[in-house]
Amino acid sequence: MSDVWIAGAGMTRFGRRDENLQDLMAEAALAAMNDAGIERPDALVVAAMNPEEFTGEGNYGSLIGTRLGLSYAPAMRVETATSSGVAAVYTAFAAIAAGFHRSVLVVGGEKMTHLPTPRVSEIIGRSIDPHEKSYGTTMPALAGLITRATMHRRGMTLKEISQVAVKNHANGARNPFAHFQEPVTLDAVMESRLVADPLRLYHCCPISDGGAALLLTADRRGVRIAGIGQGADTIAVRYRTDLTSFRATQAAAEAAYRMAGFGAARVEIAEIHDAFAPFELISLEDTGLVPPGKAGRATLDGETAIGGRLPVNTSGGLKARGHPLAATGISQLVELYWQLTGRADGRQVEARVGLAQSIGGLATNNWVTLLESRR
Amino acid sequence: MAERLRASRCPRCRRLVVPPASICPDHPVRMEEASLPPLGEVVSFTTLHSPPEGFRAPLHLALVELEGGARLFCHGTATEGVKIGSHVSVEAVDSVFYFSHMGFTDRARLFWRRAGARGERVAAIGKSVVKGVWNRRPRGED
Repeated sequence: MSDVWIAGAGMTRFGRRDENLQDLMAEAALAAMNDAGIERPDALVVAAMNPEEFTGEGNYGSLIGTRLGLSYAPAMRVETATSSGVAAVYTAFAAIAAGFHRSVLVVGGEKMTHLPTPRVSEIIGRSIDPHEKSYGTTMPALAGLITRATMHRRGMTLKEISQVAVKNHANGARNPFAHFQEPVTLDAVMESRLVADPLRLYHCCPISDGGAALLLTADRRGVRIAGIGQGADTIAVRYRTDLTSFRATQAAAEAAYRMAGFGAARVEIAEIHDAFAPFELISLEDTGLVPPGKAGRATLDGETAIGGRLPVNTSGGLKARGHPLAATGISQLVELYWQLTGRADGRQVEARVGLAQSIGGLATNNWVTLLESRR
Repeated sequence: MAERLRASRCPRCRRLVVPPASICPDHPVRMEEASLPPLGEVVSFTTLHSPPEGFRAPLHLALVELEGGARLFCHGTATEGVKIGSHVSVEAVDSVFYFSHMGFTDRARLFWRRAGARGERVAAIGKSVVKGVWNRRPRGED
């Protein structure tokens, strides 16, 4: 198996954007190609969770190939719900590791803010088990159930959960690519309106537009994909015996650490899928980055802030950077790449090894990726 | 008391699911028909303040674990007084499950009806008291 390196990275600013999805993906992809100095990648992998319903367009691999002037390149689209971006990275990684291609462009994006919020929720809700959806469950509803169960069984507190949002907003204020670039106070988070009891509005990520891209290569560069792993769980939440941790993350982390040949102890920075603030705490424990039951305390103590022992979501996370679905998993890796190569202006931390965790659906299809710099 | 609920059981792992499914989620084998008493405990619950189209706010949802381990989603008319671990009865109305919180008298009536001989009743009371104390131990803020 050949090593796979990141040759270049790029992303758009996330948020409410006037451009269409093709333009957002093109902006990110061209930035990654320029950064890599590679004009003609061997292949293209595109991630979009549901462009058919969000934009009315389909055949997205070919659409983006032609839009980018890469119509010669074999192109495909892959999908694992909200973690689709990392599924695309994995597809490109596997093709290079197997020796099928030398360089592959990966680009993901979503365009959502032009639709009314109930329509966006409905489209995102397609990734919920149909029987459970027929009860009116939405992503926030399922997250609300998980949050209450985790508070009850593992002693996670509302203050700990809220501090995740405060920290990630503080980080987003230092990231010019973030959807939200203003800090928020703990009181503002804890007093924001109830969405799905006990989850409040400021515990939830926004609806965002944006694109993110990576150019992967077999040629030795500064940052290597040391490990990448996928984990699965039932689409029906009622089939799970434990609501307070995600089996799909645990399995993905185990696979990624096994491939990398090292464990959580070497990770110095992480990007975590905080679509809902409590998920950051659950995921830190599922990946083994923080011992069980300790993530809330670590957050209150500033261990996961910039300057702490393990900075988490220096980008602002999904909470502040924003969550344009299929762009998100790729943007986590863009942030880690910038951090590991010393290009995270205004929020730079010292790190050689980074971990990114991405959740697909209600944790049905999760990914963990490990990046390691040569420095 | 409401009717038993239709379920299915995996012949390989004995797992029960509600509503019945044709194939076990953990094994590619055909499930067998089963039924379960409509009684369980609340695993978690929430109230949605802006539910999707077709549902009225506030929408009360609970995940309930029936005896035997099968879990199911239910609607409810309120979550006031409901806690994780609360005993509820489940009723299917037009194939939609609803939970209702069982008050003390409902539980006592059920308890006496289900407990068998006197010896078993004494053992069951002991277990019930221990469980009550265990459930009331302090745990976080909730």
